[in-house]
Amino acid sequence: MSKRLNPYTTAPDAMKPMMALEESIANSGLEHSLIELVKMRASQINGCAYCLHMHSADARKAGESEARLYLLNAWHESELYTPRERAALAWTEALTLVSQTHAPDTDYEEALRHFSPEELVKLTLLIGAINVWNRIAIGFRSHHPNDRAPKAAAA
Amino acid sequence: MSQRLNAFQVAPGAIDAVLKTQIYVNECGLEHSLLELVKMRASQINGCAYCLHMHAADARKAGESEARLYLLDAWHESGLYSPRERAALAWTEALTRVSSEGGPSDATFAELRAHFSEKEAVDLTVAIGAINTWNRINVGFRTRHPADKPAKAAA
Repeated sequence: MSKRLNPYTTAPDAMKPMMALEESIANSGLEHSLIELVKMRASQINGCAYCLHMHSADARKAGESEARLYLLNAWHESELYTPRERAALAWTEALTLVSQTHAPDTDYEEALRHFSPEELVKLTLLIGAINVWNRIAIGFRSHHPNDRAPKAAAA
Repeated sequence: MSQRLNAFQVAPGAIDAVLKTQIYVNECGLEHSLLELVKMRASQINGCAYCLHMHAADARKAGESEARLYLLDAWHESGLYSPRERAALAWTEALTRVSSEGGPSDATFAELRAHFSEKEAVDLTVAIGAINTWNRINVGFRTRHPADKPAKAAA
């Protein structure tokens, strides 16, 4: 699959506010580990290889465990995630799949048990931002680094 | 979430029958690395933490890279997987989601046959059926994966 266009060179002024939003999320006070889990989960749902590559590397560099990344699709069935992380992941799924879920009250109420209203707004912007990045990267087929010809693992 | 029952203790004969199928699959000649990717992908779709834990560990032990596991949700958008693996992953998704997507298209089958013999196609299909069975046993009865202790967030 070949790349379609480079949004940064094609429309730099459109990309700048996205970069600014990303910076404000990074400085929002939300835990870095939580931010990375949210970005990974949305990127899994949307199937964004570019974002999964970037955020798995960032998360691992920041000390995240392999297991918590491998099991993330099934966070609901695992106790490797804190109640606060679980509430954030449920909210992430509800908003990423919003056309199907319509953001149920139960997810909202559970989120408010673990996040202040201000944090919940920041979390919601985070979820919105990663969904935008996913759509940019998938829509224009951005290639992740090392996206070379595949080599299967040892048989 | 506590385990609902221990399927291995409650119905050893039933589990033994599934295990025999699994042994066939493991020894059928399909590459180990391919089988692990198929097991991981089905377990991601079905949200099976127990199976993701087991097969991530098995795959890593056999030499699989972290990146190919982190990007697996988005294999379609990445060049990290071989054409044969991509055909198998498309077949895995179509059969795992058979009720919601109405079964694999002719194009998906044609792509499968371009990379797998008829015998291999049947073996792969049985492999996909087996992991879907394990996913349903472990999600249904909430089998706990090892080290499923109270969560501790990363830094």
